[in-house]
Amino acid sequence: MIPLLEHGMLAQRNHDEESRQSFVNDFRIHLASNVFPGNFPTYYNRVLPNFIKNKGREPETRHEVRKVMTHDPYYSFWSAMQRNSQEMIWDSVIDSVERQLPELIEKSRKTGDKGSLILDPDLEIPKYHVAADIHLQPGAYHSDQIENDVAAGAMYDWGTYIYSMGGLGTGNNALGQITNGFFKNEFPDKKPLRILDMGCTIGGSVTYWAQQHPDAECHAIDVGAPVLRYGHARAEALGAAVHFSQQNAEQTNFEDESFDVVMSHILLHETSRTAIQNVFNESYRLLKPGGIMMHLDLPQAHGQQPLEGFLFEWEIYNNNEHFFAQLRDMNMSELCQKAGFKNEDIHPKSAGSFWMDDKTPYADDGFEFPITIGIK
Amino acid sequence: MSNDDQKKIKLPRTAKGKKPQYFKDPTIDKLLSMVLTLMGELSVTRDRLDTVERLVEKNGLFKIDDIERYDIPDDVNQIRSERRSAYIARVLKSVQDELDALEQKGDGKNTALDD
Repeated sequence: MIPLLEHGMLAQRNHDEESRQSFVNDFRIHLASNVFPGNFPTYYNRVLPNFIKNKGREPETRHEVRKVMTHDPYYSFWSAMQRNSQEMIWDSVIDSVERQLPELIEKSRKTGDKGSLILDPDLEIPKYHVAADIHLQPGAYHSDQIENDVAAGAMYDWGTYIYSMGGLGTGNNALGQITNGFFKNEFPDKKPLRILDMGCTIGGSVTYWAQQHPDAECHAIDVGAPVLRYGHARAEALGAAVHFSQQNAEQTNFEDESFDVVMSHILLHETSRTAIQNVFNESYRLLKPGGIMMHLDLPQAHGQQPLEGFLFEWEIYNNNEHFFAQLRDMNMSELCQKAGFKNEDIHPKSAGSFWMDDKTPYADDGFEFPITIGIK
Repeated sequence: MSNDDQKKIKLPRTAKGKKPQYFKDPTIDKLLSMVLTLMGELSVTRDRLDTVERLVEKNGLFKIDDIERYDIPDDVNQIRSERRSAYIARVLKSVQDELDALEQKGDGKNTALDD
């Protein structure tokens, strides 16, 4: 495993911790390249013929495929191993974070002052956040285990990098590279002066934007205090000016029409049906006339074959991504219209190929993320 | 909060949320977790031994702290990565066996693999 680039806030790994993380990384690559593909012949040679024998037809929906595939021994065994590999990610990063937590907290309190950090201890953490620990990260992104805690951020930095099998890049900022490359390509004449990233966690994406747009004022919000403390210290360590504040993207305290770009990176699928509409409404309120909304997220169900659609939803049922199920069938254009965007200014697009720095699982497969765009 | 209090912190180790049961007998779920953890730990041990061997060869004698400070060169990283992949494939041979048998029995209609 190629290590993340040092930025001063990373939890340092001892010999065995580094080796354990490398194992989980290689194990997940093996599962993705050698075991997961076996679900296709399993389906076509065993599950599908049985289905046809019993019903006289092929499954019409991903839900029908779910009912039969989840009982297949090959699929079940892959699924159980995949789940275990996710738990092993966190197990491989907790030790080093726990051991160095006092030092990491101290470092986070002695940062530069290019950007800023405002926390709101009274902020209500939304239900979709507290219902279960998303991605199985123990303690989730919002829980403080100790005063001035940064553990959730320190775990998230290494954990998401291993989760993506390096796909997020050694700067852990691939999604920011994708949206920034996409923005520059789609809107070459726009020079954003004020930018907001919603649901920023440790600010990997927004910090990249801040580095690329040094003249812009970059803001980033999240509901989780420990990830914001870590993100702020990380951005300062990287010399980037980002203003972090603890706020819910559904309703922020920023003024009307005060941003040129309002964006998010894989935030929507971790919220609720109501929250997604609220986030779009809030994006519209915050944008200046001519401003751009960009929400990058995971693929929806439209156009996917029943087997493909079923396999895509593994994370919903096995990796605490419960709210992704609702996003799968939602009509994003309709939500944008309800928020106030005009029909002709709503563009559902996909992006991924702008980021080609490394050969990664995402770049190799042409993995693309859909982006919901609205121009005010 | 004093430094001593901070040192006592124990981070949570189990994620909140219902854990799926994958096998009819939940004991098998636990056994699988144990086997996979064992896989990981053996790999960690092998990596550590690899470091020791390389340091012995390099220095003749070494301090234990040298192991912690061993900086993995890219080519060694590559060698270790390839060895881990072979090791994973070996431990998971029973899974591959099932797949191989299926493909031997099938009618070649594995079209989705090409997608």
